[in-house]
Amino acid sequence: MLIEGKFTMKAPIQQVWDFLLEPGTLASCVPGAEKMEAIDDKTYEGVVKQKVGPISVRLKFTQTLTEIDPPKHVKAIGRGADVTKAGIFSQETTVDLTEISKDEVEVAYRSNVSMVGRLATFGERIMRAKVNKVGEEFTRNLQERLRSRIGG
Amino acid sequence: MIRDFEYFAPKTLKEALTLLDKYQDECKVIAGGQSLLILMRQGLVTAQYLIDIKGLSELSYIKSDAREGLRIGALTTHRAIEKSPVIQKKFSVLAEMERRLASIQTRNWGTIGGNICHADPAGDPAPVLMALNATLSMASLKGKRNMAVEDFCLDYFETALEPGELLTEIRVPATPPHTGTAYTKFNVIESDLATVGVALSITLGSSDGVCRDVRIALGAAAPTPMRAKQAEAVLRGKKVTNNLLKEAGEMASTEAEPLSDIYASEEYRRELVKVLVNRVGKEALARAKQA
Amino acid sequence: MKKELRLTVNGQPYELYIKPKTLLVEALRDHLGLTGTKRGCNCSSCGACTVILNGMAVKSCSILALQADGGEILSIEGLAKGTELHPLQKAFLDHGAFQCGFCTPGMLMSATALLDENPKPNKEQMKEGIDGNICRCTGYNSIIRAITAVVKGEYKEEK
Repeated sequence: MLIEGKFTMKAPIQQVWDFLLEPGTLASCVPGAEKMEAIDDKTYEGVVKQKVGPISVRLKFTQTLTEIDPPKHVKAIGRGADVTKAGIFSQETTVDLTEISKDEVEVAYRSNVSMVGRLATFGERIMRAKVNKVGEEFTRNLQERLRSRIGG
Repeated sequence: MIRDFEYFAPKTLKEALTLLDKYQDECKVIAGGQSLLILMRQGLVTAQYLIDIKGLSELSYIKSDAREGLRIGALTTHRAIEKSPVIQKKFSVLAEMERRLASIQTRNWGTIGGNICHADPAGDPAPVLMALNATLSMASLKGKRNMAVEDFCLDYFETALEPGELLTEIRVPATPPHTGTAYTKFNVIESDLATVGVALSITLGSSDGVCRDVRIALGAAAPTPMRAKQAEAVLRGKKVTNNLLKEAGEMASTEAEPLSDIYASEEYRRELVKVLVNRVGKEALARAKQA
Repeated sequence: MKKELRLTVNGQPYELYIKPKTLLVEALRDHLGLTGTKRGCNCSSCGACTVILNGMAVKSCSILALQADGGEILSIEGLAKGTELHPLQKAFLDHGAFQCGFCTPGMLMSATALLDENPKPNKEQMKEGIDGNICRCTGYNSIIRAITAVVKGEYKEEK
């Protein structure tokens, strides 16, 4: 499942970049994220809880920042499994910053989420819709956090 | 691979509501189990406490009154609705819908209330009940309340049922004169869930062929069964022609919010909405003219 | 915590003591040793597990055994009377209405339920009657021919 989009921030590109790279920024925008623990400055471990209808999912995941090309491009790879082993999720997210002017940045994000396991086969219909929504919520959270931290 | 659970089989509604009130979020309710057990068998849904309400015979009934309309107990099986003489005669669209729902074995044990509470947007009953302007009754220890079907379905597989609450009854108002209702669904394999489903009810002015009222409900085209209100506005108050029905179909196609999945793409679902609204509209119109 | 379950299966009363999560198909196969009823798909789609419960064809893999408490079940083992096969069984044999045989118990139970409800179905009604049973081998036509033969009275039961 592909989730992508873009939005603009009224802030210098370096500021936006610094915030994005701050430990846990991306991880903390994940809806339903509970515990977040930094393993090192590029890796995060956490727990995500989500519910859709009768299905509750508790995911333990690890997220690693891989490509880091300041201040323009960052890629994070995450893998997680539901605690009951009902499903395994993997996610690849890239965020690209483009300077529009000294005080304006375009933030373009692209997230590829895939899911295998019983959740994917039997729960596909139920989970697919949820993954979409989670993706939308993630980007809203990201915008909100950026705006409240940096403003504009 | 169902996990162990504690099992209760209350004999009365009061008993059931007391148990639900006690266990709130920790329990799951099972009626026919034709949707729930699939998920439980795969370990996708676990319950610590399972409240089995299948035995509440007081919630299994079909009552019809010329003025008040139809009252169906939530635990009435799909098969009973399909075979009910009064429903076949006066609300035939319900019997037709049930006939295409899953298979005979599923219909023999599954209940209409269970189906509605499972809130699968591709489910068959909800769009038809919405087209029929049906309301739902719920009960808890705190009391009773009613709401329209479209207000009951909140999101994918989420309903307005509160913890401690049970769906008890479905009410379908008496059919106004010169009203026709029809339903169809598109699926690749007969007895599959709808790839897209459309239910349409149209009420004409006595002899002028002008649409006095219309309800268009889409299944599997949005997070919940959805009223295509903009499409309805195309028809309401106008003389219904083939071109107008075509326009309504196009409007419904743009207002739907379908997902892409392994069965169909979003574009194909929109196309299905467009075609089926038109097709079902013609059928409903023909029935309205005969009514 | 186990619960008591009383079932009458093929005319025989049974008393079982089972965990609530036991499915009806498990009660029949694992607890009563009636392995004629099959578990085909584990996703409630194939109908190989079909039995007749209180006069209705149901998928026994999709029913908790406890929900059948006090009920009467007819399974494939109950179709024949001793060594005398049920007319549908005879017809299935004569018309090659099975190959691997895995769907056959469920198919026969659905056909039995169909004819119990409607002794003279037309072809469309026959197809509808077995709609919930998947067969990978026969292509269904031989099954319909077998049912048709019974409906036509070619296997009149001696009562």
